[in-house]
Amino acid sequence: MTNTPWLAHYPSDVPKQLPPVSFTNLPELLNAATAQYGKKTAFTQVMPNGMNGSLTYAEVDQLSDQFACYLREELGLSAGDRVAVQMPNCLSYPVVAFGIFKAGCVLVNTNPLYTANEMIHQFSDSGATTLVVIDMFADRLPQVLANTSIKNVVTVKISEFFPSVVGGVVRIVQKFWQRSLPKIQVPHTRFSSALAAGKAKHSKEKVISYTSGVRQETLAALQYTGGTTGVSKGAMLSHGNLVTNTLQMIAHCGDGMRAGKEIVLTALPLYHIFAFTVNLLGFYYNGARNILIPSPRPPSNLRRAFDNYKITWLSGVNTLFNALLNERWFQDAPPKHLHASAAGGMALQASVAERWRELAGTPIVEGYGLTETSPVLTFNLLTGLAKDGTIGIPVPSTEVKCVDENGKDVAVGEAGEIIARGPQIMLGYWQKPEETAKSIKDGWFYTGDIAQMDADGYFTIVDRKKDMILVSGFNVYPNEIEEQIAAVAGVLEVGVIGIPDEKTGERVQAYVKATLPAPSKDTIIAHCRTNLAAYKIPQDVIFVDELPKSPIGKILRRTLRDEAMSSKPSSNNGSKGA
Amino acid sequence: MRALRILTEEVANQATVVNEFEQTLLRIFILIIMFGLGAGLTPKDFGLALRRPWGVAIGWVTQFGIMPLTAYVLIVTVLFPFSSTEGIILVALGALIMGSVPAGTTSNLFTYFSKGNLALSVVMTVNSTLWAFIMTPAALFVYSRLLGLDESLSIEFSELAIVIVGLIIPVGLGMLIRKLSSNIGAVLELLGGVFGLLFIPFLIAIWVPRNWQLLVTTEWPTYVVAIGLGLVGIVVAYYFSKLLRLHPMNARTIALETGINNGPLAIAVIVAVYIDNPGVDQILLVPALYSLFIVIISTLVTLVFRRANLAAEQKIPNLL
Repeated sequence: MTNTPWLAHYPSDVPKQLPPVSFTNLPELLNAATAQYGKKTAFTQVMPNGMNGSLTYAEVDQLSDQFACYLREELGLSAGDRVAVQMPNCLSYPVVAFGIFKAGCVLVNTNPLYTANEMIHQFSDSGATTLVVIDMFADRLPQVLANTSIKNVVTVKISEFFPSVVGGVVRIVQKFWQRSLPKIQVPHTRFSSALAAGKAKHSKEKVISYTSGVRQETLAALQYTGGTTGVSKGAMLSHGNLVTNTLQMIAHCGDGMRAGKEIVLTALPLYHIFAFTVNLLGFYYNGARNILIPSPRPPSNLRRAFDNYKITWLSGVNTLFNALLNERWFQDAPPKHLHASAAGGMALQASVAERWRELAGTPIVEGYGLTETSPVLTFNLLTGLAKDGTIGIPVPSTEVKCVDENGKDVAVGEAGEIIARGPQIMLGYWQKPEETAKSIKDGWFYTGDIAQMDADGYFTIVDRKKDMILVSGFNVYPNEIEEQIAAVAGVLEVGVIGIPDEKTGERVQAYVKATLPAPSKDTIIAHCRTNLAAYKIPQDVIFVDELPKSPIGKILRRTLRDEAMSSKPSSNNGSKGA
Repeated sequence: MRALRILTEEVANQATVVNEFEQTLLRIFILIIMFGLGAGLTPKDFGLALRRPWGVAIGWVTQFGIMPLTAYVLIVTVLFPFSSTEGIILVALGALIMGSVPAGTTSNLFTYFSKGNLALSVVMTVNSTLWAFIMTPAALFVYSRLLGLDESLSIEFSELAIVIVGLIIPVGLGMLIRKLSSNIGAVLELLGGVFGLLFIPFLIAIWVPRNWQLLVTTEWPTYVVAIGLGLVGIVVAYYFSKLLRLHPMNARTIALETGINNGPLAIAVIVAVYIDNPGVDQILLVPALYSLFIVIISTLVTLVFRRANLAAEQKIPNLL
């Protein structure tokens, strides 16, 4: 029996157990939202200059029906066929994703910034036969298609579903000013033509029939992960995984997420599991209006969205909140209507959380999860006790505990690998039974993260098992050192890694992106000396212009390690993401 | 087609510096540019300026302090001593008006390209346009007395006010439209930017060939004034800002903002006030030449600014 002290802390608006889930699959969950909120605006896509387009719940429903018919009737796909989707946040994204679910097919989310080789790996591994891709990134297709099983290509415009004049202006700017529209060298169908073809063959009966065999345990999405360990693997998420995790997340928010009332800013990419479940599925089911930002970098791209819409909810990663806090326009006019914010994906630094609460005057809570867990496992409470620096307590109907190397439970307050059991745990890794067997044992998913639980059932992540640094036999966790360095005035972002050392085995090295004026190396080390044990003090602090980051903005320690091993990292190797 | 030909022939036959057809086009241009400026603004931006008033205050001083003074000094030291034309006093009046009008919207564009502070630039443009109600007539009053201009040439406050109100209204409307529809607002903003750029080629295409004779006969001191006004304004405002230890990004912004005045506005004011004066061509000479050369000057200055050492600037605290 798992020790579950957190149950005592669930406030009255959060159920201890999730009520039985009445939806057999994702389309049923989506249809419930359409039935309730039909005429409401579901999605608004906002460009950096304020140009925008919107779709209502009813429109998303109709269009995704048409796309489902296109996939099944026109392309002749069958249930279970994989459809790769590669686009930034835009109005087409929900239409395509929901259409794939309604067709009974499997969604394969793909990062639009992937290189040709990464695309080839993901498409071949998943066996996708159809690709829906944003036209801006279609230049890599000739090379990619030759090496994969992709037969059908559908191209999407960023300005799809915009008012025609505005869409035309966006198009002209893209074509002649930004020159971001490559000539597409492979046979392809435009998204509008695909929808028209689907519409011609559409009937409600057909759409219903596509999912007649789709149950909770049916595969819904292949979500690739493991870039931090090397070759990426596809986490098999079922309809039941995604439906349940959506409902768990909403239940856990309690009155912090008000049905039919929220306007949520979606700056994180929807192809990432955090925004996919929380923003796309969660807020759609909850009747919110979703403000989609195609490209959140630079952060000034969010300005018009904050200016023009009464944002009530924001989900993000530490990097995003930190970046906003450092924008002058945001400091001078913080959003007035904000209700709550949720952070995930990486540790939310205490200094960032405090400044956010001070400036925005609303709660910000940190949660935790992995691609393999759909993703939400734990979250701090919006309407109950929230403990800063912790990842909160497990969401309803989820068991979480910390175990030692032999799989034995550790005592309260002691560090161990965090493992979890619940309806959101993936089916396994796609075509990798050995990897699956290594990470799921007796229904428990082994996360590879080191954490400790306090007496109240609140978990604190100590660090990623793989990122742990071993200095003279002592365990050093980069998070702890990063937290200290981030508190030094002038430090914008920090990444800490271990590099081989002849004397101590490994030594601590810190990479810092600083603001103006930059603090000196000595200041940073002195600050560490007063707050950390001697073996944890960084031996070197290196100032950089940019830190390597994942698509959602997580600082990639592995890349830092690789760079440190191969050569001395140059100070201007920052990759400018879209 | 026939109507168009007649229209163009008619235009070609009129030998005024700015004919009626061009005036109409000019008004439409200015209207769109000002609409666009407004569509890019929210009440928040004004709050932002009020919260950090230093940049705006310094910009105010350079705008209405340096520019009219530069015009005056150039008139007294170059134009008057070295010109032989009879109507030189009218050319001087044009130069003075050019120096006294508020900042132009093209400054925002050049600020953007020279890695300046765009928010500051926009707020400064709006701020100087609002202040122009008082400061433009005041500057004209002071310097026309100093130059000993004929009283009959002076501009009535009310005449100027009408022109400026005509400018502020589209800014307000632009803000309102953006509030009502962010899409129309964003399109207007883009159009304003495009038209701000088109204004100059438009001027060159229509005006230069037809006034070639005038350009050839114009004496060099007039060119010196037309070119010097913008160039001196930029240089002096830049070093003034550096002297006050402003962040280089803001110094660049204030320099461009100061040197780039609202040429279309100056032309519109002159046309509105002096259209019946037989010397209107002479008065329009400097504003027209200035509008032409300021683009070239600003482009060159932007190229110099872009070579600035951005890495070094990172170390300078940005307190503005």
